[in-house]
Amino acid sequence: MRIWHVAAAWLRAVFLRGRREAELDEELGFHIDRETERLVAAGAAPAEARLQARRAFGGVEVVKEESRDARGTAFVDHLTRDTRHAARRLRRDWRFTLAAVVILGLGIGVNAAIFSVINAVLFRPQFVANPDALVDIYQNAPGGAPTGSSYAAYLDMAAYTDIFASSAVAFIPHPVTYSVGGPLRQAIAENTSASYLTVLGLRPALGRWFTEAEDTLKAPPVVVLGYRAWTTRFASDPAVVGRIIRIDGVPVTVVGVGPANHAASMNFGAHTDFWMPLRTLVALNGMPPGMFERGVSEPAFMVKARLQPGVTVAQAQAAMSTLGSRLAREFPKEDLKAGISVFAWRDVRIHPQLDVILAGFATALMAIVGLVLAIACSNLATLLLVRGAARVKEVSVRLAVGATRGQLVRHLLTESVLLALAGGAAGCVLAWWTMRWLSTLDLPVVVDFSLDFRVLGFALALSFVTGILFGLAPALHSTRVELWQTLRDDGEIRASGRRWFSLKNSLVVFQVAVSVFLLAGTGLALQMMAAGRAKQVGYAVDGVAMLQTDARYVVNTPADQPRLFEQLLTRVKAIPGVQAAVLTRDLPMNVAGLRIAIDGAADGAMQNAEAASIWAGPGFFETLQIPILYGRALDARDRQGAARAAVVNEGLARRYFGTANAVGRRFSLEPGDGQWMTIVGVARDTWTNDLGDIVDPVPYLFYRPIEQWNVMPTTVVARTTLGEAPLVRAMQVEMRRVNERLPVLTAKTMRQVLDDSLQAAQGLAAFFTALGVLGLTLAGIGLYAVIAFAVARRSREIGIRMALGAGSQQVVWSVARDVAALVGVGTAGGLALWIVAVLVMKVAPVQTSGVANIQFYQPDVDPLAMLTIAAFTAIVGIAASYIPARRAARLNPLIALRHD
Amino acid sequence: MSDQTDLLQGTLDLLIMRTIALEPLHGWAIAQRIQQVSDELLRVQQGSLYPALHRLEHQGWIAAEWGASDNNRRARFYSLTRAGRRQLATEVSKWERLSAGVNLVLHRT
Repeated sequence: MRIWHVAAAWLRAVFLRGRREAELDEELGFHIDRETERLVAAGAAPAEARLQARRAFGGVEVVKEESRDARGTAFVDHLTRDTRHAARRLRRDWRFTLAAVVILGLGIGVNAAIFSVINAVLFRPQFVANPDALVDIYQNAPGGAPTGSSYAAYLDMAAYTDIFASSAVAFIPHPVTYSVGGPLRQAIAENTSASYLTVLGLRPALGRWFTEAEDTLKAPPVVVLGYRAWTTRFASDPAVVGRIIRIDGVPVTVVGVGPANHAASMNFGAHTDFWMPLRTLVALNGMPPGMFERGVSEPAFMVKARLQPGVTVAQAQAAMSTLGSRLAREFPKEDLKAGISVFAWRDVRIHPQLDVILAGFATALMAIVGLVLAIACSNLATLLLVRGAARVKEVSVRLAVGATRGQLVRHLLTESVLLALAGGAAGCVLAWWTMRWLSTLDLPVVVDFSLDFRVLGFALALSFVTGILFGLAPALHSTRVELWQTLRDDGEIRASGRRWFSLKNSLVVFQVAVSVFLLAGTGLALQMMAAGRAKQVGYAVDGVAMLQTDARYVVNTPADQPRLFEQLLTRVKAIPGVQAAVLTRDLPMNVAGLRIAIDGAADGAMQNAEAASIWAGPGFFETLQIPILYGRALDARDRQGAARAAVVNEGLARRYFGTANAVGRRFSLEPGDGQWMTIVGVARDTWTNDLGDIVDPVPYLFYRPIEQWNVMPTTVVARTTLGEAPLVRAMQVEMRRVNERLPVLTAKTMRQVLDDSLQAAQGLAAFFTALGVLGLTLAGIGLYAVIAFAVARRSREIGIRMALGAGSQQVVWSVARDVAALVGVGTAGGLALWIVAVLVMKVAPVQTSGVANIQFYQPDVDPLAMLTIAAFTAIVGIAASYIPARRAARLNPLIALRHD
Repeated sequence: MSDQTDLLQGTLDLLIMRTIALEPLHGWAIAQRIQQVSDELLRVQQGSLYPALHRLEHQGWIAAEWGASDNNRRARFYSLTRAGRRQLATEVSKWERLSAGVNLVLHRT
């Protein structure tokens, strides 16, 4: 009631302002007229009576003001009036306004853009029916962190039908290639159980979901298109149902289109393009049929279940804990033995473990772009201070005629908030542009980057906070004036303006320092890249080229594939200059992390050791020139049927067998594989093909003969003496001669692969450079404003000096000294901050999140980078002070002394 | 503002509400009426009347309506609302307690 009353009064105040003012005038006018009448009736002369009535009444304007205030709508009144005034002032001062809007737009825009990426990845909700009854279930990894489940464990979970009304499982999303007749394209596929969509309570937009009968090893493969894939990649063609497309080379029938509001089983902004039955993984992706067994080394099935009515998450957790201990008892060898975790579906974004990492990453990212906003804010505060100092007389006059300091502060704050809102709008435009640009990039995954209310709300809130933040200090500062001083209009204020430790100076120093800090981030990223480049990879790079294809796009019977690759290998070997060539899978030196068990090891850690596998064929070590230290390389003897052989690198041998010469020792894939691989040779340590890797100094590698494991090759690698770039082309020519329909997945030199692996670091460097340069540009503008203002203020002093014989050099020097001090202190501060950050990174404890050997990149303090940055800021300082210094030097003493 | 004006303001509110409790009046008439009834003892500062009227209106104790005055001009007439009557009763009793107390202190010591 009361609130409604107030709100109505406020609305009236805003919209009926004119009418209310007129009424107030009329009411007071009536009073005075009536009083005049009374006095006339009592015998006074009309003119005299009116005067007397007015005198008795008091100041009409004061009464009006007090009456307005008494209504309690003064706040709204003042706000509308202040806003109107502020808008008028900003329009009049349009150059300043434009500069401010651009500065704020950049600051807020960068934040809004980064936030919308984070929003797309972390915050956009998925739609499911009745989300409260949905849970995510994970088997725990040794150590207790939730990981994936084995398929067998999923079946055990699903058997709890008194707890779960229905349950489904999805395999982690993975990249595939596909072709609709044209060239190969990349896409993301997910394999789920047939129950997936019903558990979520959704319906296909078109056609149907696949059935349980289609989720068998023998069934012809079918696919449900993701809704977004259907609209973007298949032009929303309703006739797509029933069509056959080739996915990973295999013909697959489209049976339906997924629901419009469901992107993927893991909610990280990417949209799944192809939904397929679980068993298709075997036919399409070459996964072993054993992947559905209990004892897989990396369980990667994610379980979702719908609770029975009335069952709580806690009850489900209790039931699953019971199951967890039962599994550990019944399957001591195969099971992970670490229990099962149940999460409410709402509490998981992507995966419990990933969520934590991503949240940390997002926080760090926002903190970094927040620094840019901090620069923009302090920059604007600097400009406002300078402007406020120039307006000190106006402020004094207004104070003198009775405005309170509070009113003035309110005016100035309204102005800065208005500016910030305009800047926020500009920032949204900038963010929108960025997002549109990101959407045009040919990313391998479809991510929805569109701006939504969250981003807009974020930008709005940010603008408000920003406006107050950069407006408050200058507003307080510039309204704190001594009337007698400023109105006397002489040199007094100049003395106060020359304090060294002034707010303006501190702000400029802050801007320089933060920009330097950001630029040092560039230095770090470049350092990471340089470290990557400098790595002794340990295998041949020069002269090495590769060609990756997918033979399934041209041959339908797997048995025909080896023949095709043999032909290709023979032809590549015959290319002039080629010294050696080999067939492998994926890109050479690509690794897959696996758990292995060491024969004869009693130690638990050795039964579950981390290592990385590389597929090799006969001639692999020769082609990549990796020396064999003990034993022999893999060769033609290691074929199907022969005893399983492997070559390990020195690091693995030392780590897990305690000796470099581990020839003759055995290990197996863990857990439960049981088939021993005998080490036939030990190779010298090498890097993988990922130089940007932050993983441990020496990877533990083992090489398996591709033929022995019945794994289809995809790639031919060759080394030439005649230059690798022509070899890449020559290999493609040879491949067309083998079969002209064979698609090219990758045609690169080894050097290119290594360079590509540094893209992340490169991106990081570009990101920091962009932010650092932006920050320093802003700092330069701030510096210019401060110096230009100082020169203008000191023009009389400078004039006197020049009149007394100071040369223009001395004058320039006095300006330069100020700039040098500001830039110097700022740069030193930023670099000091950076050194502290580097030292903290060095002593910070090494993270081992379940995976062994992870050691994050540890930067060094790089004096050369620091020197470069210092030089860079010095240039900005000189550029910012050039015009003011020149103006000071060319000052005509006569004019300057007449200045006021 | 000093405490003294606050006290006077409160008193003014009481006087205004008491005056218009009988019949709706416009601002000038309220001032006149207070002066007459108090035998010219109380003189309302005419300018300060209006902020008080607008505040009371905002608080919902009095309501305003445009009507014709005795000289046939449009004037703003104020009347007590139901909440205003309740408020007046409390204010009156409060005032009586206060003045009784003050009287006791003045005459017994």
